[in-house]
Amino acid sequence: MVWSVNRLQSVEAEAPPHTLSDRANRLIDYDFVDSFRRPATQNNWVRDFNPITLLLVLLSISIIAVAVPNLVAPLLACASYVVIAFLARVGKQFVLTYAKLFVVVGLLLFVLRALFIPGKHTLFALGTLKISAEGVTDGLRFALMIMALCGAVALYFALVPMKLLMGALEDRGVSPHATYVILASFQAIVDLSKNTTVVMEAQKSRGIETEGSILNRALAFLPVLTPVLLSSMSSTEERAMALDARAFNASGEHTHLVSLRKVPGSEIAVGCAALLAVLVSIVGRMLSWF
Amino acid sequence: MVLVSLQNVSFTYEYADLPALTNVSLELESGLVYGVVGLNSSGKSTLCSLIRGLIPAFHQGELSGTVTVLGKDLAEWEPADLSRSIGYVFQNPFTQISGIRDTVFEEIALGLENLGVERDEMIERVLEVVEQLGIESIIAKNPNDLSGGQRQKVAFAAIIAMDADFIVIDEPTSQLDPDASDAVFGIIRTLKEQGKSIILVEHKMDLLAEFADRLIVMHEGTVVLEGDVRTVLLSGVLDQVGVPRPEVTELARRLDAIGRPLDTMPITRAEAHEALSRQLMEESYVDHAH
Amino acid sequence: MSTKNGFSRFVAGYGRLTLLMIPIGIAINFIGGQIAVLLKLPIYLDSIGTILVGALCGGIPGALVGGISNILNSITSPTNIPYAILSIIFGLLAGWFSRMGVFRSLWKTLLSSLAFAAVGGGLGAIITLILFGGLSAGGMGVIVGIVHAAGMDLNLANFLVAIPADVVDKVPTVLIVYVILKRMPKRLFAKLPLGSVYLQKTPKRGVVSEPSSIS
Repeated sequence: MVWSVNRLQSVEAEAPPHTLSDRANRLIDYDFVDSFRRPATQNNWVRDFNPITLLLVLLSISIIAVAVPNLVAPLLACASYVVIAFLARVGKQFVLTYAKLFVVVGLLLFVLRALFIPGKHTLFALGTLKISAEGVTDGLRFALMIMALCGAVALYFALVPMKLLMGALEDRGVSPHATYVILASFQAIVDLSKNTTVVMEAQKSRGIETEGSILNRALAFLPVLTPVLLSSMSSTEERAMALDARAFNASGEHTHLVSLRKVPGSEIAVGCAALLAVLVSIVGRMLSWF
Repeated sequence: MVLVSLQNVSFTYEYADLPALTNVSLELESGLVYGVVGLNSSGKSTLCSLIRGLIPAFHQGELSGTVTVLGKDLAEWEPADLSRSIGYVFQNPFTQISGIRDTVFEEIALGLENLGVERDEMIERVLEVVEQLGIESIIAKNPNDLSGGQRQKVAFAAIIAMDADFIVIDEPTSQLDPDASDAVFGIIRTLKEQGKSIILVEHKMDLLAEFADRLIVMHEGTVVLEGDVRTVLLSGVLDQVGVPRPEVTELARRLDAIGRPLDTMPITRAEAHEALSRQLMEESYVDHAH
Repeated sequence: MSTKNGFSRFVAGYGRLTLLMIPIGIAINFIGGQIAVLLKLPIYLDSIGTILVGALCGGIPGALVGGISNILNSITSPTNIPYAILSIIFGLLAGWFSRMGVFRSLWKTLLSSLAFAAVGGGLGAIITLILFGGLSAGGMGVIVGIVHAAGMDLNLANFLVAIPADVVDKVPTVLIVYVILKRMPKRLFAKLPLGSVYLQKTPKRGVVSEPSSIS
């Protein structure tokens, strides 16, 4: 086994490097360790698609939903997301999230447009509001288009874990500094949230009122926010030094523990098909084929 | 081999009025454990930052004098490359976890990824370090869910895996409970046995007496004394700078003061045990003789 | 510093701390809203981080904080994506204002909130009009709808609702930024690109200001 040049002291020729003590072998989950020797897999043919391919496919579906007029295209797009979700075995959670989005966003948009956009054929009237057929169809189409776009985003993040997306980007040359920013943000949000509740409790016990009149609550804002923000910013100094100690700023190639599988031909075909479909729909829209 | 050499080094932080280091000259040999002691603001951490190259690259200020690290002038080192040759462990376990890896295994591998180590070797080195530190049971856990003591172990693991022969350790146990502190000192003992060069800043004199080969006593930005650990601990220097002695040494001094000295001045528990045993046996002989 | 990638070289120009301030800025944007909910206050406060990082590190880092926050937010509310341009502009403005020393004085800071609100409300209304036909999916959309049904022109309604709403949001935001800037330790400013704006020229007397985290 070739060791790096840093090892100035030679290893005594005892057991081969990968043989650990019995105690260690008993405690270590070798399945977990060996999983790093193979490409990362989520054990599902849909989710094992390369993150970039999935991005392409979902983006294409949403573009097609917008490009092709009438209600059929966005409806089919939304349905396709549900199908893909079930194929990827995230169906239940996705449907729940998507349903929520439909109500909170889609329904609201539809109602707003149906109620407030004027048209010629009045269906019925609610007081001074005239609800027209045009308003309803416009509202439906618009709401469905937005839901097609939202669905793509929601589905993507249900399918692709952030760390694999970052890995795929780094494989394509994105700087580890950039992926650091994204990944660190997620953790920073979690850490800061925890810190906020802690500080809030601490300030409550010091007598800062967090209930009561709106003035009381507004005055509590700064005493809670300021310590949280100041401590998070001070810690950046130490974090920067700690990252530096991990050779974060060192020159040279970065290697990766977690790898993604090589993109198979079938995936490339799917990607191309998606792009083709997008092209057809955009051109078709421009030439009014539909 | 000379590890680090400082000649007439003075440093003032950018927005400070007084210098943090004044006219420091030191020569540190490789393969030894150097303890650095002194009160807060005596310049211990500044010394560490300097040796590690964080000064002047990260902490700006006025630096005068010559600093040579591993045979090369500090100014000639590419700051990021120092991280390949010198490890650095800090005192805050929470800021040393990168926040961008989900499992302890990957966290330890992060430094190796940045160094461009090949995957198979990476896995072997991580496993080795995991066994060495006894953290087999947590390798699949999220480092952000660990306790302070566990995080510090992971931080050590991450730096040790990078296999530098020279490690600077800055108060690693100040934020840990006694059990975790013991564990950390066990790690340091192992590193010493492997022949690594270590600079250890610590307040716990008892533990320092066990492990350090030489001591550097600092006071208000100057090096008051640098020498063999026994010589330094038994000299009056510690009193002058306000640093406490190891417990056992203090005990022996007080016995001496009341006219019942031990035959040797112990600096470690083991030595104290032997000296006391001898003393008690002698006294019992005397008693029996009457 | 020999880094090969374009982004790395770009970041290196901002010093090492900026790269770590960006995730913190993004997180600050998120918890501003969280605290508002915890205290049951009816404001968003989702731009504190953007403006703070813009003030300390410069317009582009601030814009990055704004843009990325928006993208991350859109994972749960995808209809926010078009408004990313607003957050980006907030960051750029914050950097510009900071260089001019706006955030060093309280009244100038308060005035700046009007500039931010003009962009947030005005440009926001324009985006709503173009992309959502004036009726966005949210509380404001409902209010605009009602006002419009009562007879007001849709365009006017959007501006009249969006701009004051944004003023109510931005005034506390810039105030918080001002307070934080006043309370930050000097040694941190020394490491940030725009820190020099906030440092008094006379150093503190008699203190060796070592990083307090280490003894």
